Amino acid sequence: MNHVARPVTTALQARRFGLVNWIGCWSLLRRQFKNGFSDLHYTILGPVISNALYLLLFVIASSSLTQLDPKALVAFIAPGLISFSIAERAFEVSGANLIYDKHERIHFDWLMAPLTPTERAACFAISSTIAGMMVGSAVALMTLLFVPATVAHPWALLFFAAATGMMHGLIGTLLGIWAAKWDQYTALHTFVLLPLAFLSGVFAPVGTMPETAQHLIAFNPIFYLIDGFRYGAIGKAAADLHVSAAVAIAVNAVLFAWVHYWLRTGYRLKS
Amino acid sequence: MPSQRTLVQTPVQTLAPRHYRTINWVGLSTLYIKEVRRFMSVATQTILAPMVTTLLFLAVFVLALGHAVDKVAGEPYMAFLAPGLIMMAITQNAFANTSSSILISKIQGNIVDLLMPPLTPLERTIGLAGGGLTRGIVVGIATWVAMVPFVPLSAAHPGFILFHAVMASLLMSLVGVLAGVWAEKFDHMAGITNFIVTPAAFLSGTFYSAERLPPLWQGVAHMNPLFYMIDGFRYGFIGHADGSLTAGILVLLGANAALLWLTHRLFATGYHLKA
Repeated sequence: MNHVARPVTTALQARRFGLVNWIGCWSLLRRQFKNGFSDLHYTILGPVISNALYLLLFVIASSSLTQLDPKALVAFIAPGLISFSIAERAFEVSGANLIYDKHERIHFDWLMAPLTPTERAACFAISSTIAGMMVGSAVALMTLLFVPATVAHPWALLFFAAATGMMHGLIGTLLGIWAAKWDQYTALHTFVLLPLAFLSGVFAPVGTMPETAQHLIAFNPIFYLIDGFRYGAIGKAAADLHVSAAVAIAVNAVLFAWVHYWLRTGYRLKS
Repeated sequence: MPSQRTLVQTPVQTLAPRHYRTINWVGLSTLYIKEVRRFMSVATQTILAPMVTTLLFLAVFVLALGHAVDKVAGEPYMAFLAPGLIMMAITQNAFANTSSSILISKIQGNIVDLLMPPLTPLERTIGLAGGGLTRGIVVGIATWVAMVPFVPLSAAHPGFILFHAVMASLLMSLVGVLAGVWAEKFDHMAGITNFIVTPAAFLSGTFYSAERLPPLWQGVAHMNPLFYMIDGFRYGFIGHADGSLTAGILVLLGANAALLWLTHRLFATGYHLKA
């Protein structure tokens, strides 16, 4: 008899989750992936081909114009290009997705879901990191056409690959939240992020650059990420590895806190 | 009673198609102005962005190779590289302008705005290609101006600079029209850009001198119309050409004539445009 009476008296309550809403996180991750991988041939083949072209260009240009050893040059540039393609894709997955969501007004789907700001920020960061690393792996496979694979320090390689992806995923998230139009998003990408990435030692050893350029590069966080990644690949680094790792962790921590703050306050998302 | 007469006469007039002389100037200039305004209204993306990426390319190649290159064609590497990069910016933007214009119109369904007005196929071709041509030249000038503080660029033969800039820009606008007419999705356009336009531009002798390539690759380079655009354009700046200038001029004139004819045919038959 007790059995029958009880259910009637219980009032509706907010659903309770443990420390982490795992189902919610998993759903958001899957959603991000679905958006990020709907057109694989375009997102993977594009970077693979353009990076193959870069390498081919460097081989032709260096062997026809200089006494430099093309193999050594490619071995130096390849890790930079892999790192660069991780960054580009990670940035795109979170940034472009967010702007699309805002345009279509479907960002309420994940704003309404019972997720904490930490969970949302983490899902955006993780999905971008993984997407970026997948493209990076494809580009890495392509580089085997030019140079034999070298993995000097696998853990450093993985750490800096993940840190690069996460950093750009978080930057993409920030830009996606901030930008009201595609114009603003592409403008910041072209005028800020791309120059930072191109002038970070992807293509040239810092040692060969003019002194002022070397000093400026020391302020570019992307330089440390690429340098650390290159250390993982070929075992040679321009900066102190501990400094690079510290920069990678610090930058990611600051960016994560920033994303968390915006998601918590609903800046530009909830009006 | 003059007023009565007009009253009687007006109803008798029948509606007739409007007549134009040989060329519908109002229509042509409207189409052209629309095409120019389309890219000018987003100048940050269409002019400033290519300018910045071209400068980045210059920086990257000079930083990576400049210290090891002695001289190319008697010039410092930067002076050799700069004209090629300007030309690359011209061609890519001329192509982007016409191809995106047509493809976006097709996808958004406002391609009828191009097909319905009383324009002949030739006028459509000229209006669209004119827009792309203008974008290419404007981007070229912007890139040139941006490079001046870094690279000493003198004009050895201004006529060659102008001729090759205009011919290259026109050629790639026409290729863009063809690509825009053919493509049905953004994927198709990305494919054309990734597999044809960018490789052709990259492997055209912008970054290295074709003279110093192995014979096989030299032959491949000479099959590429972009090689002639860049070579002749660079000759205008530094007074040195890798290939034959006469051959280059003939290739460019011939290719443009053929493309104009082809584009005209497509507009006349309505291929991929009229169902």
